[in-house]
Amino acid sequence: MIADVITVAVKELREIFTFGDARGRSRFSMLILILIFGIVIPLQNGREWVTSPISIMVWGWMPFLWVSGVVADLFAGERERHTLESLLATRLSDQAILFGKLLAALMYGFTLTWVIMIASLITVNIGFGSEGLLFYPFEMFMGALAFSILISGLSASIGVLVSLRAGSVRQAQQMMSAGMLVLFLPFMLIQFIPSAWLNAAENMLENVQPMQIAVGLALLLLVVELILIAIARRLFQRSKLILD
Amino acid sequence: MNAIQTHQLTRSFGNLKAVDRLTLEIPRGTVFGFLGPNGSGKTTTIRLLLGLLDADDGSAQVLGFDTRKQPDEVRVRCGALLEHHGLYERLSAAENLDYYGRIWRMSKADREKRIRELLEPLDLYERRGEPIGRWSRGMKQKLAVARALMHRPELIFLDEPTAGLDPVASSALREDLASLVAQEGMTIFLTTHNLAEAEKLCNQVGVINHGNLLAVGSPSELRSKTSAPRLYVTGQGITSQILEDVKSNALVKRVQQQNGKLVMDLNDLSRSHEIVTKLVGAGVQIDEVWKEKADLEDVFLQLVEEEKGEAE
Repeated sequence: MIADVITVAVKELREIFTFGDARGRSRFSMLILILIFGIVIPLQNGREWVTSPISIMVWGWMPFLWVSGVVADLFAGERERHTLESLLATRLSDQAILFGKLLAALMYGFTLTWVIMIASLITVNIGFGSEGLLFYPFEMFMGALAFSILISGLSASIGVLVSLRAGSVRQAQQMMSAGMLVLFLPFMLIQFIPSAWLNAAENMLENVQPMQIAVGLALLLLVVELILIAIARRLFQRSKLILD
Repeated sequence: MNAIQTHQLTRSFGNLKAVDRLTLEIPRGTVFGFLGPNGSGKTTTIRLLLGLLDADDGSAQVLGFDTRKQPDEVRVRCGALLEHHGLYERLSAAENLDYYGRIWRMSKADREKRIRELLEPLDLYERRGEPIGRWSRGMKQKLAVARALMHRPELIFLDEPTAGLDPVASSALREDLASLVAQEGMTIFLTTHNLAEAEKLCNQVGVINHGNLLAVGSPSELRSKTSAPRLYVTGQGITSQILEDVKSNALVKRVQQQNGKLVMDLNDLSRSHEIVTKLVGAGVQIDEVWKEKADLEDVFLQLVEEEKGEAE
């Protein structure tokens, strides 16, 4: 089973990195993002880049950006290009196909996020590290590691679900964009929450350690991911996919 | 032992019976052609046999495994080229085959050897490194056949392998298929509506229409069972009265006019001279007379026509 999952994931990653007809354009957008988050923003922030909790938010948010760009293609794309039925006619189990695709999306989001993180660390060290190595505090580093994996996993599972249900890649991409909007809606709406409510929430959280909040959030993300994966497993039925 | 055995296999989509009580036995080593027009139930039959769809009723065993209870066992032992070639166009030919080799857990050395073994006779080996997106449809179909054979399956399903190809590409693919069939010696279940393809490749043929199996046998058996020897006459002065007279002749089973030709199915081809004499006597100026055995196309059309008649 694990070998099959890896086989599927490796093929998916190979396809993602060949970019297809949009080869030039996709590579260019990838380079632009690496340039912005790996060089420009770290240079603007200087030493704060490795001390401010904001950078953790960047590493938590970034996998969404990467994964949502490719995940729509996983099932909807196979269906659109008529490659899914041939794959379903092989010896691969349903789980191997599903988890292979999930793993590919997760690895893609996680790896690119970390490539950019490493690039940003090299940048701040070259620019501002004359007095010694600049690196995240241990807790922040672990948080970045955990949240980049969890958010990659969350976006991969949402994407796989969307891709399973969507009729075409375009529809899947539209649904993913709408999903991202829903996820970021609470942050946008925060300004409309009465200040009394915000103060009450602040008082409530005063006695809670940031580490506790992070662990709680991580657990919540994990549970949500497991639920989404369970739903995807239920939806992934060969006979249904063939007739779709 | 049979490679495929079905009993009263039935599958409907709403009110439409795609496959209706299909009972079939295909011995191992057979190249079986499943003939039928579009929408006759050929693809649904393949999907049922591969365990990709569940039957509403009846049963099917493929290589000794129940398709409903052991679909994974069936798929492990089969290869398939389905309705669409299903190749990954961003990947190269070698990467496509390599992926399927990995799926079937072939070793690296075996995968490399097999890719060469399959692509060389198809004249694709030198181009194995190219992404296949810009290949012609014929080349992609060849590659898809190679992919279906990659893991040396015991049974291979080919769903209209030459559909959509131009005559030259179809003919080339048929030649390649014929030599691969001879080389690999496996059981083949081939669906087609191309009768020349079935004649060339298959030693057993089944005719299906509206989900019903109309006939099964070798092409020559079907020809002899369902179609009479045929006499063709071209000439001037074939009137409707003469046509009626020919129809009423006891020697003639069936008569029709096709593009100025008089086409007659006879009970006894050795007495064809009697018909020709009668036509000359009736004043027909005959240009040409020739005899032919019916081909699979005639058999097929006759069976479909008979089925239509029975339904009405």
